[in-house]
Amino acid sequence: MKTYLKYIIFSVFIIVVSLNFLSSNNNKLKEYNTNLFYMDTYIQIKIYTTSQIKADNAFTEVEEIYKKYHQLTDRFSTDGGVYYINNNTSTEPIITIDPILYNIIEHGINWYHKSNGLLNINIGNVVDVWKKYRDQKSGLPSINELKDSGDIDINNIILLGNNQIKNNHPNIDLGAIAKGYTTGVVGNYLEQNGIDKYIINAGGNVLVGNHYNNDLYKIGIESPIESGDIYQVVKGNNISVVTSGSYERYYEYDGKLYHHIINPHTLMPSEYMKSVTVITEDSGLADTLSTILFLMPIEEGKEFIKELDNVEAIWFSNDGEIIKSEGFSKYE
Amino acid sequence: MNKKDLMLILIIALISISIIIGYRIFEKEGTKKALVYYENDLVLNIDLSINQERVYYVDGYNGKVKIIADEGKIKVDSENSPLHLCSKQGYISKSYETIVCLPNKVIIKIDTQEDLDAIVK
Repeated sequence: MKTYLKYIIFSVFIIVVSLNFLSSNNNKLKEYNTNLFYMDTYIQIKIYTTSQIKADNAFTEVEEIYKKYHQLTDRFSTDGGVYYINNNTSTEPIITIDPILYNIIEHGINWYHKSNGLLNINIGNVVDVWKKYRDQKSGLPSINELKDSGDIDINNIILLGNNQIKNNHPNIDLGAIAKGYTTGVVGNYLEQNGIDKYIINAGGNVLVGNHYNNDLYKIGIESPIESGDIYQVVKGNNISVVTSGSYERYYEYDGKLYHHIINPHTLMPSEYMKSVTVITEDSGLADTLSTILFLMPIEEGKEFIKELDNVEAIWFSNDGEIIKSEGFSKYE
Repeated sequence: MNKKDLMLILIIALISISIIIGYRIFEKEGTKKALVYYENDLVLNIDLSINQERVYYVDGYNGKVKIIADEGKIKVDSENSPLHLCSKQGYISKSYETIVCLPNKVIIKIDTQEDLDAIVK
């Protein structure tokens, strides 16, 4: 009897040790996930930290950031922010806005000048015309309708310093930059709070930190013509990967597709390529540049990013040809 | 402890180790599945390796979302939303493909456990 007991005790001991092995990692990093819906986008966030409490605290704050930035930057969110600027009926000559929004608008205006007017955050009037046709899924706006839709002059957005802006009724649309900009803020927040290993995917706007396993993150770029088909894998840490493409938010009329990224010079959807993906450290910059590159011919875009530090891009041409920037191979 | 004890201990230890290894391997394999989420909650885990059409209903934000799964593929058949984007999308079958019903807050992902961390499109 005694020996049996000995065996049983020993077996139990071994089994407990084994089970412990399986579910160990008490001091190790664990993966935590959350999904959010803001900025018309499904946002997936994965972080690596040591406890559920830390993860929950981080997720709560991250949600606050997306919520706040959504309210500030969404043209149709009547809680304040850009809606308040665009639809201000008061007679005050100057209005004071949230410093966050002020900085985003300033970022937009800076890139208007750096892109020769291709990134125009005052294009809301034209975007609205196209949205009307896209929603009714038929017809085409005439060039006069687009031209007469209202002012798109960037010089009508007048920043006065001290978070003040002149009240002269622009129609600011931050759709091209808000998602990436906010994702960058979220990344900074996580890092400042000791979470340096994370993946954020805000509707194709990806930002990754350090790798959870001393490896490199692998981010697949989906083909713009074949859903589910990955045509390129990008490997790296502490990078943002953002695509602009003609295949999301479009409508078909008379056998032709009309998508949502409008060239401010022609007022028409841009057709230089099927998609372009930008890789750089800063998420807000990646988002901004993907729109700018989408609005210029591929060769011009290659030259354009040569002037910028640590920016790479990959283009999917209208013929299905894949074109990479000079330093792209460091992410392969 | 005599030799017999030691043998038994070794055998038990061996069994334990094989359980650990077996568990790890089994964990990695896995079959093709579709994961259905409402907001943050996994509401359905559908095995797509079965060769039979199956119908599921999930509570979406605007009412029931009807989902049809078959061997290797899944689609949203009908739902209540302004544009019906996710029911128009049809079947998805490839890894990384997703159906996002934004108005209904329902997401369907194909899970093949491949090693990409994220997808941009």
